[in-house]
This record gives sequence, C-alpha cells and structure tokens, in this order.
Amino acid sequence: MGAAPFPVPTGSLLALGALLFCIGLFGALTKRNLIIVLVSIELMLNAANINLVTFSRLGVAPSLSGQVFSLFTMTVAAAEIAVGLALLLALFRLRKTSEVKDLNIHKW
Amino acid sequence: MNFVWSWPVIAFYIIALLTLCCGVIMLSVRKVIYMALTIGGVFIGASALYFLLGADFVGVAQILIYAGAITILIMFAIMLTNHEATEPGFKWSPKNIAAAIGSVLLAVVLLLAIRSTAWPTATTSQTALDGGNSNPMAIGLVMFKGYAIPFELVSILLIVALVGAVILAKERKEDE
Amino acid sequence: MVQYAWLVPFLPLVAYVFLLVLGRKAAEGLVAGVSVILTAVSFVLSLFIFQAVGNNPHGNNTYVFHWLTVGNRVFDVGFQVTHLNALMLVVVTLVSTLVFLFSKGYMHKDDRFPVFYQYLNLFVFSMLALVISLNLLQLYIFWEMVGLCSYLLVGFWYFKPEAALAAKKSFIVTRIGDTGMFAGIVLLFLATGSFDYSTIFSAVAHGTLHIGWLSNNGVITLTALLIFAGAVGKSAQFPLHVWLPDAMEGPTPVSALIHAATMVAAGVYLVARTFPLFQASTGATTTVAWIGAITALMASLIALTQRDIKRVIAYSTMSQLGYMMMALGVGAYAYGIFHLMTHAFFKALLFLAAGSVIHAVDTQDLFEMGGLRKKMPVTTYTFLAGALALAGIVPFAGFWSKDDILSATLQSGHPVLYWFGLIAAFCTAFYIFRVFFLTFTGKPRVEEKYEHAHEGSWVMKLPLVVLAVFATIAGFFNSPVNHYGLERYLFADFASGTAGVVVKENVGLMAFSVAVGLLGILLAALMYWRPAFGGEKLSKALSIPYIISFRKFFFDEIYTFVIVGGGKVIAAIVDFVDRYIIDGIVSLLSWIGSVFGTMLKYTQDGQVQTYSAIAAFGVLIFIAIAVFTVGGVL
Repeated sequence: MGAAPFPVPTGSLLALGALLFCIGLFGALTKRNLIIVLVSIELMLNAANINLVTFSRLGVAPSLSGQVFSLFTMTVAAAEIAVGLALLLALFRLRKTSEVKDLNIHKW
Repeated sequence: MNFVWSWPVIAFYIIALLTLCCGVIMLSVRKVIYMALTIGGVFIGASALYFLLGADFVGVAQILIYAGAITILIMFAIMLTNHEATEPGFKWSPKNIAAAIGSVLLAVVLLLAIRSTAWPTATTSQTALDGGNSNPMAIGLVMFKGYAIPFELVSILLIVALVGAVILAKERKEDE
Repeated sequence: MVQYAWLVPFLPLVAYVFLLVLGRKAAEGLVAGVSVILTAVSFVLSLFIFQAVGNNPHGNNTYVFHWLTVGNRVFDVGFQVTHLNALMLVVVTLVSTLVFLFSKGYMHKDDRFPVFYQYLNLFVFSMLALVISLNLLQLYIFWEMVGLCSYLLVGFWYFKPEAALAAKKSFIVTRIGDTGMFAGIVLLFLATGSFDYSTIFSAVAHGTLHIGWLSNNGVITLTALLIFAGAVGKSAQFPLHVWLPDAMEGPTPVSALIHAATMVAAGVYLVARTFPLFQASTGATTTVAWIGAITALMASLIALTQRDIKRVIAYSTMSQLGYMMMALGVGAYAYGIFHLMTHAFFKALLFLAAGSVIHAVDTQDLFEMGGLRKKMPVTTYTFLAGALALAGIVPFAGFWSKDDILSATLQSGHPVLYWFGLIAAFCTAFYIFRVFFLTFTGKPRVEEKYEHAHEGSWVMKLPLVVLAVFATIAGFFNSPVNHYGLERYLFADFASGTAGVVVKENVGLMAFSVAVGLLGILLAALMYWRPAFGGEKLSKALSIPYIISFRKFFFDEIYTFVIVGGGKVIAAIVDFVDRYIIDGIVSLLSWIGSVFGTMLKYTQDGQVQTYSAIAAFGVLIFIAIAVFTVGGVL
C-alpha cells in the first residue's frame, strides 16, 4: 500500500480521535482510583497522537513532522507516567490510599 | 463524500470499533486490573491505526512504549498499591453528571466541527512522503536534521523524570 | 548703622544658645547678667538705629537675602527697618532689659531659673525678629514662635493645674486667630505672587488683586479681615480675649513683658504694618475700630470688679489694646502706635509693681492687701505714676496718647466710638485707683501677710524707677512741646500724605477727658480710701451689673456652652454618621464580600477532579464559541 492516495476519509480518523479524547476526559473526571485517572490522561494523549499522525498523512501540507511530534508526545507521556506513578507510590506509602478523593488537604 | 469500499477502509473501521470498545469497557469495568488491560487494547488499536496510515516507526514506538512499557508500569503500580481495589459503580452524583454532560457536549461540538469541515483528500503517497527511503530512516533524517534541539531537550526531560521518579518512589530510611 | 539691625534680635538669640549650653544648673547671677547685658546692648543698638532711620528717612533700609526658589516663585528672607520697626525695636528692647533685671529678684531661688531666662531670651529674639521681618511669611514664622514662647512661659509653673490649663487655653485661642491670619497671608500670596509688604501694598495701590471670582475690593476686605483675625487673637480683642486673663497664671515678669508690653502689642503692630491694606477697605477699618471700641469698654467694665490684682491689670491691658485698635480703625495710625509705646511703659510698670507686691505679700487677692505704702514706698509711688498714666491724667504719658486717640476718634467723625472710649476711660481711672487704694492705703486686712512684706532688692526697684520715669515723661515725645515728633517720625514711612487722621489741638476736649479721669479717681477714693459709702453696699445695690462684671460677662461660660457644647453636638452627629452610616456601608460591603466568599468556599473542596471538571467546562465553552462563530457548523 501507500502508492495510492489513502482511501479512509480524514473526518473518520479525526472522529475516532475525538471520541477517544472524550472517553479519556470522562474517565479522568469520574474515576476514583488515581492510577485509572492517570491512564485516562494517557488515553487523551493517545487521541491527540492519532490526530497528529492523521494530519501528517492527510493534512493540507503532508510531512513527517506530525509523526516526529507524536514521537515527542510519547516521550513526554512516558516521563509523565513515570513521575505520576512515583508520586502515587509515595502517596500510598504515606496515606495508605490511592483514591483521588482522599487528596483533599487543600480543602477550605 | 463518495464512499469507496476497499481493504484499508474495512480494516480502519474494524480497528476503530475495537479501539472504542476497549475504551468503553475501560470505563465500565469495576476491577482496576481489568482497566489496565483494556487500556492496553486501546494502545494496540492506535498502533494498528498508525501502521494502516503508513507511519511504521510511530506504530512500532507505540507498541514498545505504550502497550509495552507504560501498561506494564501501570500493572506494577497497581500491584504495589491496593491491587484488590475495585471501582464503585457509576453514581449519579452532581459531579459525575456534570462530567458526563461536559464530555458528551465536547464530543458533540467536536464531531459537528469535524463533519462540517471540508477535509482535503490524500494527495501524497507515504513513499513520496518518506522521500524514497524507508519510514524509520526518513523519520531519523527529519529528526536529526530539523529537530535536533527538541530531541536533546526531550532526552534531558527523560533523565530528569527518571531521577525524579526514583527519588520520589524510594523508601526514605530517615522517615520517622 | 541700619545694616546692623540684624544684631538686635541676634544678641538675645546668642544669649539663648549660651544659656542652653550652660544648662539648668547655671548660677543665677551669670544667667541673669548675660541676659541683661546682651539685651541692653541690643537696646543701645536700637537707639542708634532709631536715630539713623530718623536722620535718613528715605535711605535704603531693606536687606534681602535669597532663600529659595519654588517653580518661578522666589522666596526671600531679610530684614527691613521702617520708622515703625525702629520704634518697636527700642520699646521692646528697653522693656525686655528692665524685665530681665526685675526677674533676677522675682524668680530668685526658683528651681528652673535658667530655663526661665532661656524662654525669655527666645521670646525676645522672636519678637524682635518679628518686628524687622521683611515679609509676611517671615513675620508669620516669628509670630508663631512668640506664641510658642508665650505658651511655655504661661505654663512655666506647669505643676499648677491652672497654669497648664491657661497655657493650653492661650495657645488654642490665639491659634484660632492665627489660622485666619494664615489664610489671609496665603490669599495675598495667591493674589500677588509675593509675601513682600512692598509688592502687596503696590498691588493694593494699583488695585490689581484678583483671585478667581473675587474682585479687587473683595480680596482686600477679605484678606484684611483675615489678617485682623490674627491680630484679634494675639492682642486679646473681643471675641478672642478670653485667654489673656487666664495667662496671668504665668510669672509676673512674663505678664509684664509678654502679656502687656510686647507680644499682645504684636497684633496692633501687625495691623499698623499692613495699614495700607486696611486703609483700602472701609469695611475692614470700621470692623477694626468697632472691635477695638467694644473691647476697650467691655474689658474696662470687667476690670471694675475683679479681686485678683493681676487680672485687673490684664483686663486693663485688653482695654488699652482696644484703644489702639480703635485708633488704627479710625485711621489715627500714629496715635495707635504712640499709645502702644506709652502703654508698653506704664503697663510694664504696673505689672512689675504688682509683681513686687505679690512677691512681698504672697497673694494676688486685693482684699488681702492694704496699707503697703509704709512698707513699700518705692513700689507705691512708681505704681502711682503708672496708675496716673493709665488714668490719663496730665502730664503723664497715658494722657497724651489716650487723649490723642479720643480726639482723633471724634474729629474723624465717630462720636459713638468716642463715647465708648470716654466711658472706658472713666472706668479705667476708677478700677486702677481701686487697686491702688486697696493695695497701698488704709489698714492691712491680713496682718501676718503685712508683717513680712518688704521692698525687693535693687534689681527689682531699679526697673520700677526707670519705667516710672518713662511713664511720666514719654508722653512729651509726641506733644506740642516736641512739635509732635513721633507723628513726623512715623509719617515718613508713607510716601504720600495718606498716613491718616491728624488731630487738631482742642484744649476743651483735653480738659474734658482729664476731668472724666479725675472723676473716676474721686469715685474710687470715696469708695476705697476714705469710705464715704462702702463698696460693699454699692455692689449689693447694683448686684446684677456687679455679677455680670465680676463673672466677666459670662464669656467663658458662653464659650463653653456654645463652642465646646456645640463641638460636642457636632462630634456626636459626626460620630453617628461615621459609626452607623459610613461604617454601615463599609460593613455592608464586607458582608457582601463575606457572603460571596463563603459561597465560593464550597467550590474549593480539595477534589482535583472538581477543579478539572470546571476547567474542562471552560475549555468546552471556548471551543464552542470558536467553532460556532466560524459558522456553517450546524
């Protein structure tokens, strides 16, 4: 494949990204477990990546920059999940919980 | 939009369907460990999509980093903390309702915007995009020619994250 | 010679600094000696200046030094010696020297003897500097300094509650007038752009004073009245006269120097110095004349019944200052100043003699004295000279000046004011001889006080004698004998012939006023010396007027009721407005803020997901706006 223009409509790919993003957003806002919240955020980043790669091939000015950007995003996501999980472990050790609702020391 | 049934199109819809299913299942299962597994499915679906789009290198990286490293890391984190944890069922609390409305509205707005935009159809093949080289080679050339400094910065970020994560997660002996 | 005029105030300043350095343990002889000698040098210097100015009436006698420039305004300092200033220098330094000498005896063995001389020197410096000030700003500075010295000296025995209260009262009451004066000076500055007398007077002469919507005449009248307010406060004129009798709580030399001869005359001096301004406004001169006449009459009526020897003389001072104001008001400039001069001598004399008496018998109540003539002959006869001068008996000093004022008042067409002055003159003669007879003649009323009464040492007697001489002969300075020397001297200040009223000789008027004075003395003699009818009976028969006079026309009570009471009412209203209305608005605002804050508080539940939900909604709204405003989406 590849020699011919890509047959899948751009809108379908973007719609997939949008739906994944909203699923991630909903999960991040409602899930109680901190790990799952982090996972949902990863999902949102993935949705953004799908958009980047889509535009790299199907945009107005196709180029490899979109793919390079998605690679950077992955790197940043990896760093983020590493630090986030480390924070989670430290928190769990301190307060014996991994639930988001217990992180309320800044309450009024 | 003239809809042409071809193998890539069929493959795309199967992949998209499976990916979305994995995402929805993630939202609905109770056990945390299953959620981690389903998110792995989403990552693999995204990777398949990249292959379909001709971004071979990104697809491989997706499998390595997300489906491999991150999913396993999350598994570890779950095991290290409260691995018996289960999510309670969805409650119609005001906060959850607000989150649901917000997410659905965002999806509606985005889909409406996507539908009403006249997207250009693909004019270039992946081979042309890669400039005759293989995709990983082309990516490598672009990255080191055009994005050398961001690349270095990202590597610094990774090191900082690594060190920071180790220090944060390390059990402190001097803790009282 | 005139260029050394700055030395006149400078020498007392040197004395002040010297005494300050010596400290509070300095020997009395040294302290008094330095003060007397330096002031006496000032006096001699003043005499030379007086003569030099007289010999060269149109010479340059203004010395200007640049002080500072603000914007395009230039402020100068310096000194100016007019004929009026030269006369004032002589009077002030002479009385100061004698009072300094007298204080050596009077304040003997006081714990704060050096401090007393420090204050006196500072006062003399301020007063002399005030007199030769170049402009109104400089005058105002020294004006406030003499006020400060007066405050310090009235409250010199601050451990007595009455003295502390009197000091406060004198300071505050004069400050009321000073505020008006300051406003007047500022208005003049706004109108002319200068504090200089000459600039202001030439602007008055050319009629170029305008401020905003105020016309030239309006500015002149307004500023003249405001400046007169300062003079009213300082010279204890009605209605700001209430501080002067209370100021008698200070040591008697202070009363003689500050509250009789010099500082209270500063008000008269101020009006005289700015006389061209007053002359330009009929309203202002009429006000000055009437205030003066009312004060002269009222104060002399009050003085009729007072029991405290110093208070009688204090009211007498007010009354005489009223005469001076009246003279200035009717345009008899030279006679006002003439009376200022003679009054400085005989009033200082009366106060010092009273001080000598108080020093001897240790009381101020007239009805605890009596028969002191045998024990204190020098005091008695010097007091008599002062009393005759005050009563206006020919040929004593007071006769010439007071008669000139009365004649000028009548001849300038103010018969009502003339009668005011004449009645006041009758009362004056009566009350001063009431004091004289009660104090020095008859039998002693309190034996033990009489027993240890004695004349003071020479330092107390010499000033009395010198002043008695002046009180006797100073009037000839401006009499037919001398071809009205003072008038000619003073009128040299005025380039044109606008110096005011000149009296035509009228022997009838002179005889009439002397007769009135003698009548007053006769009445006093009948009541208190050879009691044909007792003062007791008379005061009972006339109980209502007696009480009105004795209680000083109830001015203190009225002021307490109207001003203090009114102030309290206003304060209560302001308090109410502040507490319940302004505070209420502020409290309401804070309450609204508090309510909203409390409401918003509940959104801060510490749940990160709540915050991110809100943030997500915000993003949603932005995206929606962005998407839908592009159009064609739906």
